Amino acid sequence: MSTTTDVTAAAPNLATLEAGQELPTMHKFPDEAQLFLYSAASHNPHRIHYDREYARFEGHEDIIVHGPLQGAWLTQFVTDWAGPAARLLGVTWQNRASGLTGEELVFSGTVTSVDAETGIVELEIAEHTSDGRLLMPATARVRLPLSSE
Amino acid sequence: MSESLIPAETLERVGEVLSGPVTVVVDRREAQRYAYAVGDENPIYFDEVAAQAAGYRTLVAPPTYVTHAVVQPRTASELRTDGLYREGTRIRLKVDRVMFGGEEWDFLEPVCVGDEITATVRLAAVDQKEGRKGPFVRQVRETTFVNQFGDEVARSRMIGIAR
Repeated sequence: MSTTTDVTAAAPNLATLEAGQELPTMHKFPDEAQLFLYSAASHNPHRIHYDREYARFEGHEDIIVHGPLQGAWLTQFVTDWAGPAARLLGVTWQNRASGLTGEELVFSGTVTSVDAETGIVELEIAEHTSDGRLLMPATARVRLPLSSE
Repeated sequence: MSESLIPAETLERVGEVLSGPVTVVVDRREAQRYAYAVGDENPIYFDEVAAQAAGYRTLVAPPTYVTHAVVQPRTASELRTDGLYREGTRIRLKVDRVMFGGEEWDFLEPVCVGDEITATVRLAAVDQKEGRKGPFVRQVRETTFVNQFGDEVARSRMIGIAR
């Protein structure tokens, strides 16, 4: 259940940030233990996340990664990039397909707008499997610290 | 236009409170257990000095944790076969299957350890749409989270797709 990020870059600088810039990708490797821990920590008893036979009975390929866990990863992807002084203002995600254990999940994103006066940056982000299957298209809004702060 | 999948009685319920208000205190260990389960080891969740250096009152909780913090304890005898709890409030639709479509979050103020959060869930919208695979219903359950200062700290809209 490790996380890797391609570059450990410094927090983005509002003065040089532009629409079109890409965020460093983040990779997650969910396993059964992580799904179990997330079910427990989020108080989610839904059987499709721990009972393989039941998940298949419901038509899933295997036990599936929780939607809200993938959502939490999308927020982590943004806050890791933006740094601790930034504030995440919002995130939206659509559930297109289910992630499975044993798959590498890749988080990527692009800056879509930068407001240098307010520090508000909008992002288009996404979660794919490593073979390119789109699981969650998403957007995020984050406020970066102004240089005088 | 296809036949309506939304009974009149359901349309009349838009705006109704479906559950809550529920009030909980954000617990440090529970919030950290959640952050570890996600694999998000941001120091602002674990190190009070780092949290304050980043401008927070004290340790902060991961953004979406608040929705899990307010889950009420339930007896296992209320579990259905699929592992979910039987809901107190049901929304009637003329459909076979409801799927999780996605979620929209606004984070308005930080949620810190020790904060007292009150959550209220409302039926925000029920709309019928025409999709490629025929008509479907988009149902939005909105949860508002308010802290001990009376500030709204977050808003979540969970989108269900029913067909």
